Amino acid sequence: MELLLFNAFNGLIQGVFYALMALGLALILSLNSVINMAHGGFLVIGAYLAYTLIPYLGFWGALIVGPVLAGVIGLIVERILIRPIYKRVDPIYSLLLTFGLALIIEDMTRTIWGPQGLPLEVPDIINSPVSEVYFFITGYRLFVMGVTAAAAIGLYLLLRYTLLGIRIRAGIRDLETTAALGVNIYKLRALNFGFGCIFAGLAGVLAAGVLGLTPPMGNSLIMPSFVAIIIGGVGSLFGAVLGGLIIGLAAGVVTTYYPAASEAVIYLMMLIVLVVRPRGLFGEEGLFE
Amino acid sequence: MTTVLRANDIHSFYGKSHILHGVSLEVNEGEIVAVLGRNGAGKTTTVRSLIGLTPPRQGSVEIFGKDTTRWPAHRIAGLGVGYVPEGRKIFGSLTVLENLKVPQARPGQWTLDRVLELFPRLNERRSQLGRQLSGGEQEMLSIARPLLLNPRIMLLDEPSQGLAPLIVREVMKVVQRMRQEGLSVLLIEQNAPLCLSIADRAYILDDGKVVYSGKAADLAKDTELVNKLAGASSKGATPSHAANAPQPAVN
Repeated sequence: MELLLFNAFNGLIQGVFYALMALGLALILSLNSVINMAHGGFLVIGAYLAYTLIPYLGFWGALIVGPVLAGVIGLIVERILIRPIYKRVDPIYSLLLTFGLALIIEDMTRTIWGPQGLPLEVPDIINSPVSEVYFFITGYRLFVMGVTAAAAIGLYLLLRYTLLGIRIRAGIRDLETTAALGVNIYKLRALNFGFGCIFAGLAGVLAAGVLGLTPPMGNSLIMPSFVAIIIGGVGSLFGAVLGGLIIGLAAGVVTTYYPAASEAVIYLMMLIVLVVRPRGLFGEEGLFE
Repeated sequence: MTTVLRANDIHSFYGKSHILHGVSLEVNEGEIVAVLGRNGAGKTTTVRSLIGLTPPRQGSVEIFGKDTTRWPAHRIAGLGVGYVPEGRKIFGSLTVLENLKVPQARPGQWTLDRVLELFPRLNERRSQLGRQLSGGEQEMLSIARPLLLNPRIMLLDEPSQGLAPLIVREVMKVVQRMRQEGLSVLLIEQNAPLCLSIADRAYILDDGKVVYSGKAADLAKDTELVNKLAGASSKGATPSHAANAPQPAVN
């Protein structure tokens, strides 16, 4: 029983990282129409920049500045590399571009910070176990959940109540009409890409506190994040979060009984969703047709 | 009279298909100009070329004296060009009020309050989702949205499409009201008689070319010519038109 709880909780934490990644990916996919294979790269950028900044800003400052810098780098990348391919309808261009970008970011990280793993120091006050019996429930893990929830709620409020958010939602539905109503969709898409990268960067810093830093750390998170979007439903941010938590939890639970299948189970779930309900749990029908 | 919008011999394409073969037209200040033509004549492509959604590959577009041929849509809209797209294009998952907040509002007499005053139905339904509106209400919302840009010219693409006759008359009244407020209007329509009754001048497009231009009143008298050039009963138009026509909105 305790092992099940242990694994389920571990899975849930993984799921939180998937959810954060999936949120940014889903944002970028919906408005920028780009399947961002480099999303794991922005996660790595956020994490390593935070690592570098901790001696100067402390953990708390780095937790904020690292992801924001990942967002700024995202803005630059969008402007120089992504914007020129918006007019290409075939998704192969953005897939190849972002895939190449992911490789470049990974190798640049290796060059700058070295190939070996690095630890991210987490302040003691949030790093001690909450109880002796449930040693795996550390304050840091609860903190990760809290920050993720706050970020997701913040994004929801932004999209729901601000002018920028309303226009992002309008653009997701119908970019042409949004442009014809005088909205600068280039700026809108750039900001949106930046937001997506902030979420990746935040996932990176939080994940580094649990898993440590390695140059390919984004790779193990990106595929399950795509799965989370497919299960949750393309176009639904809530679905992306829920999808991430579900597959994380499922992988954790399966680890208890049959560890070898812990990774396979998420793809099995994706398969079932695709067969039974192709648009995903909360996806809107025909959004990308 | 000042010309507010002028298309000079524009050629537009969808991918490799050549849709407009040198369309020229102009709209003068305070005019309602009708553009008639069968399905597939190039009416929608013309208006999309003017607003920057399908930029012409040859020829030029001039709006308020500026060459806007290569401008992106949002910049053209920012000049004060309102656009009511074909099929209304309401943001279905946004509320009525949110739909009205999307436009990059420009200062002027049209504020959110005044627009809601002009369209009391929208005010009543302000918190409903766009997709929950009836066809007529969606059309009103589609017209209300660009008013917030405080446009000096409005481009309307088949605003009567799929609406009940009573609602269509309502829409035409709104178009006339716009002119009274000093706006110029380019009105794309298939409903020729109705549209000619409020227009000053008219163009007829066929196969991506202007085949007639003249006073709307003259054209209104010559039903035979209208039927010949823009009638839905002509060859080719009937079957596809009947199949594609949306169901009339039930209110």
